[in-house]
Amino acid sequence: MLECRSCGAGAPVDEHFCPQCSRILALGRHGDYFAFLDFPRRLTIDAQDLEKRFRDLSRKFHPDYYYNATPTERLASLERSSYLNDAYRALKNPVSRVEHLLAIEGLPPAKSEEGTAKVPPSLLEEVFALNEELDEIRELRESGTDPARLRSRLESARRPIDEKREEHERQLLELSARWDSQEQAPAAEKRATLDALRERLLERNYINNLLATIEREVANLSTGSGQPAAGSK
Amino acid sequence: MGKVVGIDLGTTNSLVAYVDNGVPVVIRDDSGDALVPSIVSVGEDGTIFVGREAQRRLLTAPTRTVYSVKRFMGRGIEDVRGEANLLPFRISGETGGVVRIGIADREFTPPEISAFVLRELKHRAEEHFRRRGEFDFEVDRAVITVPAYFNDAQRTATRDAGRLAGLEVLRIINEPTAASLAYGLDKRNRGTIAVYDLGGGTFDISILKVEDGVFQVLATNGDTHLGGDDIDRLLVEQVIAEISSRGPKGSAPQPSSVPQPSSAPQLSPQAIQEIRKAVIQAKWDLSDVEETEIRVESSPGVPGGYRKRITRADFERLIRTLVERTLDPCSQALADAGLEARDIDEAVLVGGSTRIPLVRRVVQELFAREPHSELNPDEVVALGAAVQADILLSGRREMLLLDVTPLSLGIETMGGVVSKIILRNSTIPASGREMFTSGVDNQTGVDIHVLQGERELAADCRSLAHLHLKGIPPMPAGLPRIEVGFQIDANGILSVAARELRTGIEQAIEVKPSYGLTDEEVERMLIESFEHAEADFEARLLIDARNEAESVIQATDKVLRRPDFATIAAEQLEPGERERIDAALAALKASMGNTDRAVIQDKTHALNHATQHLAEVTMNRSVREALAGRNVKDV
Repeated sequence: MLECRSCGAGAPVDEHFCPQCSRILALGRHGDYFAFLDFPRRLTIDAQDLEKRFRDLSRKFHPDYYYNATPTERLASLERSSYLNDAYRALKNPVSRVEHLLAIEGLPPAKSEEGTAKVPPSLLEEVFALNEELDEIRELRESGTDPARLRSRLESARRPIDEKREEHERQLLELSARWDSQEQAPAAEKRATLDALRERLLERNYINNLLATIEREVANLSTGSGQPAAGSK
Repeated sequence: MGKVVGIDLGTTNSLVAYVDNGVPVVIRDDSGDALVPSIVSVGEDGTIFVGREAQRRLLTAPTRTVYSVKRFMGRGIEDVRGEANLLPFRISGETGGVVRIGIADREFTPPEISAFVLRELKHRAEEHFRRRGEFDFEVDRAVITVPAYFNDAQRTATRDAGRLAGLEVLRIINEPTAASLAYGLDKRNRGTIAVYDLGGGTFDISILKVEDGVFQVLATNGDTHLGGDDIDRLLVEQVIAEISSRGPKGSAPQPSSVPQPSSAPQLSPQAIQEIRKAVIQAKWDLSDVEETEIRVESSPGVPGGYRKRITRADFERLIRTLVERTLDPCSQALADAGLEARDIDEAVLVGGSTRIPLVRRVVQELFAREPHSELNPDEVVALGAAVQADILLSGRREMLLLDVTPLSLGIETMGGVVSKIILRNSTIPASGREMFTSGVDNQTGVDIHVLQGERELAADCRSLAHLHLKGIPPMPAGLPRIEVGFQIDANGILSVAARELRTGIEQAIEVKPSYGLTDEEVERMLIESFEHAEADFEARLLIDARNEAESVIQATDKVLRRPDFATIAAEQLEPGERERIDAALAALKASMGNTDRAVIQDKTHALNHATQHLAEVTMNRSVREALAGRNVKDV
């Protein structure tokens, strides 16, 4: 429940304008981007639809249109516009969309350090193999082995990780679809889907870090071999 | 309520525009000139000259004349030391504080100098409205544009300048976005637009998506120290090097000599300004013709003068590296927008430096399409500012600008690392919050260092301000939960609020801006500027009185020198009249050096009185002569 600071009437938490006096409402402690944009809590969002809602609400909230309004309304316009911009940014990107869903469903954030520090069990094998290979490549590089050969070794080392990543993207899509179909499902089933989504996100972070490490090695090969850096003109 | 205008406060030139019956127009002077050079000069007697007048004084009073002050807005002395050696005016300032510009015994901050330019624009607009017969012609509010890549300190400095000029700044908007608004007026189509804005001192690239009249900036990037000024400086340095390498008696330049480093010009400020004027003319020429001449007239500073042919190819070789520095920001902006160059539907050119053919070619190659330049690149930004002012005022909703913050906002954490709170290219207004607590028992204050930039370490980012949270309720260490909210408003300017969540107590925050003025300083300057405004006004009245006196003296001298004056005197002047005229003339001439305006006016009046009869006599004579040769019917 929100209180309209202009007329004092009460308003439902997801309303943007006071049902009584139709003035813009102060934001209060809102936390649900889906509800704010009047979307159901689903992971499939039509990009065009999101854009349109964003533009429409921007036209309603933007401080440009409250220039002559009361300080209360101006503050509300600023808060609501800022929040809308956050919501739009978070829902636009599929990964941050899942992260937001997990947050409002009460799961611990999937971006935390644990995701990068501890190797997820499902990736143990790949990580082990990759680290060994990277160590060897580094040694060979320092002893002056032909960079072209090392580059092809790095590429083959990258392949299993790329495959893992593709598999993960598929799983994320499947889990998202499952979540979207579970609206009437028992709480335990829904929770299982969320937990699985969170696992996948953590692993995804880890995989991206591995790919970044490989990229760095590739870059080291180019600079280490005395080739001119890119963009030397 | 007075009038509202849109102002493009440029590095080189500034303009003012407004919306007249739904159509944005720039306000011109009598000669049709819309540009007010962003130049301020201080006369010996303290008179402030702005615009064309000040521009002329670049050559006659270079050490008292300030140009390109926009480059110093919101900056510290350590940022601008490198370019100080070619500037005729004195700049100083403490390390980690604002730049100060010294002229004779007065010292100005960049916002104060900019305020003089804004005041001139305000005055120009008021004159325009007054002449149109508007009853209430006062201009008291404005939308002012800034480069998109301006940081918080630079935006705040611009807003301070507006306040100092007696303008309520309704909104600070970004120049490329303003330009897109002006372009979007007639063709309200949808698409992705790249605005390439290379002005006198700054470069911006903005990528926008336009749909349903919403101009949404997807990403922006730029360089606030890259523009026409840098091109001019390259040319000036080249000319100085050649002049310095001449023999002692101004012999011909030695082609193979090593150019002198730019830090060792032994030329006077006058000479450097002569050279600057000459190379700017050559630069302009080369936008139209393939070859021209850099031509500096002989003067005490440049004995023998300087002349050299320069082809467009020479010029392009010289500036290519500079122009190509715009490409990296373009790629970064495209990447941030998640687009490739080929996704851009239209490219728009803004800023005077986009008249340079090489710049056009570079943009055309980058986006693989002919860039738009239908609207005058000097005027399009002011037009957009006027449109935005009109939107704010009217509340009309058919158009909406959604801009972004160009730089990430963060705070310094343990080990000098920056923790980002609002990411760059976030649509504004944007907000973020961060929790803080105390480190020791009963700690009542917390210090927070706020920064802007993309780098990981605080030392590599731009310091915005140091915040000091006060009055935290005494609690054991780690118990207070202080939530600090950072809010970037639609101007791209930051404000901060803090609250202790356990007690709900709103915390007082002391803000010490790193490269800006505190509210108290602005307040004090405002008072000083009123005091000076009175002095400035007095000085202007004195000049007016002198001008008036000068014209009466000249008119009198002219009559006294007439070939037929002896005849007139003999036939028509009363005894003693000639002596009275001579005495009044001498008295007025003697009073000209006086700083008391009343004395000059008094003597002017006396001379007018003494010559009244003479004036009538000569006028009648002239009329008779004029009629003498004509037939009565012609009259």
